[in-house]
Amino acid sequence: MSLFSLGIARGLVGQTLGMLVGMLLTVVTRVLLGWEAWAAEPAWTVGAVCSIIGFLLGVGALDDWLQWTKGIDTPLHHGPPADKPAWTRYFSVDYNHKVIGVQYTVWGILLLMVGGTVAMIFRTELAQAGLQFLGLGLYNSFIGMHGMIMIFAILLGVGGMANYLVPLLIGAEDMAFPRLNALGFWFNVPGSLLLLLSLFIGGWDAGWTAYPPLSARGPIGYQLFFLGVFAIGLSSIVGSLNLLVTLLCMRPQGMSLFRMPIFCWAVFATSLIQLTATQLIGVSFLMVSVQRAIGMGFFDPRGILGEISPLVGGGDPVLFQHLFWFYSHPAVYIFVLPGLGIISELLPVFSRKPLFGYKWIALSSMAIAIVGFLVWGHHMFVSGYNDILRVPFMYSTLLVAIPTGVKFFSWLGTMWGGKIHFDTPMLFVLGAISVFLIGGLSGPILATVPTDFPLHDSYFVVGHFHATMFGGFVFPFFAALYFWFPKVTGRMYNETLGKIHFFIMTPAFWVQTLGQMGVGVMGMRRRIADYDPSLGNYQIESWHLAVTIAGFAIAFGVLLMLWNFFQNAEVGVAAGDNPWRSRSPEWQIPSPVPEHSFAAPLRVVGEPYDYGLADSGYVSTATPGDD
Amino acid sequence: MANNRRHFVIASVLIVIFTVLVYWLLDGVLLKPEAAVVQAAPIDNLFDQHIWLIAFLFALVVVFMCYALIVFRARGDEGDGEHMHGNTTLEIAWTVIPCVFVIYFAVISTTMLFDITRPHPDEYVVNAEGRQWSWLFTYPESGAITQELVLPVDTPIRIDLTSDDVLHNFWVPEFRVKQDSVPGKTTYVRFTPNKVGEYVLRCAELCGLNHSGMLAAVRVVSRDEFDLWNSEQIAQIQE
Repeated sequence: MSLFSLGIARGLVGQTLGMLVGMLLTVVTRVLLGWEAWAAEPAWTVGAVCSIIGFLLGVGALDDWLQWTKGIDTPLHHGPPADKPAWTRYFSVDYNHKVIGVQYTVWGILLLMVGGTVAMIFRTELAQAGLQFLGLGLYNSFIGMHGMIMIFAILLGVGGMANYLVPLLIGAEDMAFPRLNALGFWFNVPGSLLLLLSLFIGGWDAGWTAYPPLSARGPIGYQLFFLGVFAIGLSSIVGSLNLLVTLLCMRPQGMSLFRMPIFCWAVFATSLIQLTATQLIGVSFLMVSVQRAIGMGFFDPRGILGEISPLVGGGDPVLFQHLFWFYSHPAVYIFVLPGLGIISELLPVFSRKPLFGYKWIALSSMAIAIVGFLVWGHHMFVSGYNDILRVPFMYSTLLVAIPTGVKFFSWLGTMWGGKIHFDTPMLFVLGAISVFLIGGLSGPILATVPTDFPLHDSYFVVGHFHATMFGGFVFPFFAALYFWFPKVTGRMYNETLGKIHFFIMTPAFWVQTLGQMGVGVMGMRRRIADYDPSLGNYQIESWHLAVTIAGFAIAFGVLLMLWNFFQNAEVGVAAGDNPWRSRSPEWQIPSPVPEHSFAAPLRVVGEPYDYGLADSGYVSTATPGDD
Repeated sequence: MANNRRHFVIASVLIVIFTVLVYWLLDGVLLKPEAAVVQAAPIDNLFDQHIWLIAFLFALVVVFMCYALIVFRARGDEGDGEHMHGNTTLEIAWTVIPCVFVIYFAVISTTMLFDITRPHPDEYVVNAEGRQWSWLFTYPESGAITQELVLPVDTPIRIDLTSDDVLHNFWVPEFRVKQDSVPGKTTYVRFTPNKVGEYVLRCAELCGLNHSGMLAAVRVVSRDEFDLWNSEQIAQIQE
């Protein structure tokens, strides 16, 4: 078996070739126009676009469609490839949603580790005041890199959970569009590689938000960053379309919307946002990219570009922020809604009690998704937009508290009166609630404009959104990994190691977030390579040291989890089909899940969370004749 | 239900205790810089109200959660909990009651916002231009151009912010308020210093390589000292 039987290897070759072809195309065009042959920025930009296409062609994600254009029929291949070892399917284009789910998750975890490593590097730098080993330029590149890599990682993690779980939870054989599903995943690989590559051609120093005019002036790295984000955005759009169609059209008989497992509601709300808002970040970055490449000054007020831009003036830097946040605020809910869905999904299993207020939780996800579209301006309270806009955005932002509160109280209602078990997934759910609570509660103080003035763009904001991201994504994602690990592998992880991971990571995170918020209130700005040690009566340095140590503790916990999984995936204790005594459909079938998941079409015979109701079931996998 | 009532009484007592503890912890960690403008008093007051609300809601959820975890833990049995799907009255209650808090904070914040940003008829105007990576202050009254911001105490100030390169942000932590400077337009920030002292203006919008070092000295001086300084500046210009 040669290396090139792996799709990803062919994809990487395709990406390299695509990059070269794109650059060549630029050079030829320039020569034909009588210009100087080599110009780095257009060459890299066109190269990056072609490299994405090159990767997709190389990996084979477009194969079937290309065949169809020639009128050749390509039946959907099921199962591992015939002439290669079974594991190779995880490195190639595969149409099974379970394989794609694992691909998303593993790629997401890899990016999580890269982003985490970057964070550890600059966190070490911040442990003491003064610049120790990072230069200013590298520091600025690293903070943006950490942010964007983590966003990619989160989107991939969300994609992993949604793709693996949704068809299983609704008893569908696969997603509605398996080929589109594979394409959706494979967009992520060239996209994240472009992002990483950007660091080596100058990086980009405007943070993940990449506000112009700064981002319109910086190094070429920006172009690869913009196009990397564009590729990930395409993945979000096709992925969410697929999930929406799957959820709407492929549920079995009897599974009304209010009888879906609650995670499906979270995915539905998330997908609605992804399908309709992602275009805006694509557009905003594309406009900066075009402004840089050919001088169309969308965000350029008075010809700052000078000699580069023939079309000077007339643009507005604030416009970018509107476009950018119209996606990037709802994006926060894209990240956290699935995580909150995981919390709602797991609590009844480990509390042995029905989910309290199912409809309220389901509709609160929709409410958050809808209100989330109306709050983007709270990122811009001090941006210089019309002062009066602060008021409606303050009101809409405060409204988010209400559906979020409903979730918290309903979770408490679920636990109250249950018989609570403390396995590792449940511990992470509880950790998630405590951490998301910190994130949520630190929100209103940023929403009311007078208190936002001192806190805006301070480290307090860093503390706030790390708490929402950890509570809304990282903790629930880890809970999901521990919970479904036995379903994916058929083996049990080591429970003791899992608990150690939890008891290291959770207190460490509390210290981290409290420290971050603290130094922010003391007067430390975001995104600075060095801080004034006299802030907070000289307490700021000890807090930074504490945050750094906590960060390393979290990283250690994550490594422990990965080691735990790695150790037990092949040789761990057999987990059995339903170790958690869950009522959910995926636990009623063998572990690991067979190629076609359900042997017979699913029938819904009860409510999803009727724990404590004797002789009741949610679904039956038996054919009607068997009863 | 009688049992539940006992639980709620115990939990409520714990919530009160825990609220005070959380407030005390946050008050110890979230150390605000000294307040040096008139506007800081209402802002800090609102901040404090928020911290009380945070402490209470944190205590409410955490106490109920930990209480449930202890009282309703599975004691080695494999049975299930109470079969109960929810309670509409409760759901409505915890949807409506938070609305009251939201409205309260919305109203007082709006009033306060208009109050602290209201133009003052005799405000003293200084232009501040942010540039990578320093500040330049122009005094329209005297025509003085300085790298240090000198302001008279107890005088309403308006800073007109401009930039010729990228976004910057005017922030003196002791002044609380903050505003971006945006190329292509003039933005404003208003405050009334009420404490003589030396402060540091820190750019709070990522502006490239040396963003962390984009600082400027700010000196709030007495009216007399300011007039003296002002006449020195005028004398210098005339030389």
